[in-house]
Amino acid sequence: METRTLQSPPSILPLYVRAAAPMIPGASLLPFVPGRGNEVPEIELGLDLTPDPEKVATYARVCGFALRDHLPPTYPHVLAFPLHMAVIADGRFPLGAVGLVHIENRIVQRRRVGTGEALTIRVRPTKLEPHSKGRTFSLVTEASAGGELVWESTSTMLRRDGGEKSETPADGPERRHIGVSEAHRQEEESAASAEWKLDGDLGRRYAAVSGDRNPIHMHALTAKPLGFPRAIAHGMWTKARCLAALESRLPDAFAVDVRFRKPILLPGRVEFASSSDGDEIDFAVRDAKCDTPHLDGRIEPLEAKPKDERK
Amino acid sequence: MIDKPRRVAIIGGNRIPFARSNSVYSRASNQDMLTAALDGLVARFGLEGERLGEVAGGAVLKHSRDRDLTRESVLGTRLAAETPAYDVQQACGTGLETTILVANKIALGQIDAGIACGADTTSDAPIGLNEDLRGVLLDANREKSTWGRVRQMTRLRPSHVVPSIPRNEEPRTGLSMGAHCAVMASEWEVGREEQDDLAVRSHHNLAAAYERGFMEDLVSPYLGLERDQNLRPDSSPEKLAKLGPVFGGEEGTMTAANSTPLSDGASAVLLASEEWAKEHDLPVLAWFVDGQTAAIDHVHKREGLLMAPAYAMPAMLDRAGLYLQDFDLYEIHEAFAAQVLCTLRAWEDERFCRDRLGREKPLGEIDRERLNLNGGSLAAGHPFAATGGRIVASLAKALHERGSGRGAISICAAGGQGVVAFLEGPEGTS
Repeated sequence: METRTLQSPPSILPLYVRAAAPMIPGASLLPFVPGRGNEVPEIELGLDLTPDPEKVATYARVCGFALRDHLPPTYPHVLAFPLHMAVIADGRFPLGAVGLVHIENRIVQRRRVGTGEALTIRVRPTKLEPHSKGRTFSLVTEASAGGELVWESTSTMLRRDGGEKSETPADGPERRHIGVSEAHRQEEESAASAEWKLDGDLGRRYAAVSGDRNPIHMHALTAKPLGFPRAIAHGMWTKARCLAALESRLPDAFAVDVRFRKPILLPGRVEFASSSDGDEIDFAVRDAKCDTPHLDGRIEPLEAKPKDERK
Repeated sequence: MIDKPRRVAIIGGNRIPFARSNSVYSRASNQDMLTAALDGLVARFGLEGERLGEVAGGAVLKHSRDRDLTRESVLGTRLAAETPAYDVQQACGTGLETTILVANKIALGQIDAGIACGADTTSDAPIGLNEDLRGVLLDANREKSTWGRVRQMTRLRPSHVVPSIPRNEEPRTGLSMGAHCAVMASEWEVGREEQDDLAVRSHHNLAAAYERGFMEDLVSPYLGLERDQNLRPDSSPEKLAKLGPVFGGEEGTMTAANSTPLSDGASAVLLASEEWAKEHDLPVLAWFVDGQTAAIDHVHKREGLLMAPAYAMPAMLDRAGLYLQDFDLYEIHEAFAAQVLCTLRAWEDERFCRDRLGREKPLGEIDRERLNLNGGSLAAGHPFAATGGRIVASLAKALHERGSGRGAISICAAGGQGVVAFLEGPEGTS
């Protein structure tokens, strides 16, 4: 495995250019353009940093978190975003970034992470796996503080290319997060607890606080060439917004799985629903009018709570 | 129903360190800060999932969107969502007034435990639409036809972009709080030196309180701040003497150091009945005994704007059958050093006590060595609605350290109002 520690976050724009370059026919023949080969390179990128409280505050505001002394549980993912891009834009990477679909994300918060804590972020891709609709790989992100692993995230990306239908069941061979689809079945029946009106500029506002300026989130004009009728909400924004809605009920240590379903077109109106079965919390986001599922997820505490939840 | 009022226990408090305006908390809203203060209190006393009788809180500078600030903050904490909450607003008296309200309900047996709290930000201040613009928009909204709306819109002027900013000024006199206090200072002939001395003592006392660990279970760090930002442990009369006056003109005695700075912060206090405290295995820091508010007419009767506590205190003392000297500790909110000194002068003054308070004898002097022993607002800063909670928790802890004794609190507020209260140590007054 090749491990590299970066001195500063890489600049995003050149990475976008490189990640998008495989769209040009023949470009992948060049050594610095991704899209050749069949295997994900064994690389790991690392970065030492301390979150900027100002940026945490604006991120918290856009996602609906209260401004606390610890990071929103989704925030380290934003810190790792430049590394995610650098991995995907690596010349040895077999897939171009354009057309990659984020289908699942699992975050494990081992404890609350203080806003002022110095963190080491590491990102590594996993091997390609067959999927009913194409191939998947995951970006595994770990954040540690003083050598202690405090936070992990696994983002599963799908590249639609026909896939290997004959070999794999609908959701891939090794779906780890069975709870998610269970949760979803329950959620579709549960009543919505909130309606969120999402403004047309939500993608741009999230881009400003996350650094992720993927054209599909920015504007209808930039989303259209990539196959969307309008800009779509960022999946990690939607996940963050759900956790913000459940903030007062989140334990210190927990795992949260979400499955991204149909994209949310902006502007739009969506419903949020959650239900709790013991310590676990299931939640879902769906279209306010036609119930199209956008996201479903489940939160599981990692430790027994110090005190019983009183009803 | 209960036959007689129950004793009300102060279990403890929590606040975030107070910050100077437009500094470390400039991105934090009142709701963020109040949630943080409540979160810390919940963690300190194991109130996760607890359904309390009520949470009373408030803010002086409040956004219209924060109409249920306290309730929304409660919903952001780990308290049971079934805990009711309401907002109170009584200028700088807000924090102490919420304590009195919660305590009264506990005393009457209506609730068993509750939280009194408050937050204020002068950084994330509510800036309103220009008043003229608001008028045009409302008129346009009332029009029935499109033509009517268009006609109203022709009244728009470029000057309407200037927003309406909250001012630290009395609506009926047009004078700032500081300007009012400067008038009081000159009426009561309060000198520059004694004001500076009070300010220096405030800083030294608060610094000492932090040094000996007194603040450890009263304050939780927030956004990287661990101590009150305004605190100057090395403050000295010589340094303060160099500052020019900010109120009362060139001859004024009030400076930036002997007046409280604009600040951001939040505080919360947990109160409960004796039985609730026992059931939850929580020790009693102090007993809340009584409270009193008063108001004066600063508009027509030439009363000093911040003199209402001078009236509230004797009313409370008479009811309890106590003298001003019957207290072991005094907490007088240092809005301005001059306010504290004017209040003390008034209580010592035969004419004021006779003519204004209708008493044969003055209330008399207090032992200054018992005043604001763990620092005051001049050192800590003064986020308006958070000051009451800071003082109640700190005084309760000081009484717990002593074991027994009495402590008095006096807080002046805008609009010519004042709130006072008194506490007793866990072992009573013997």
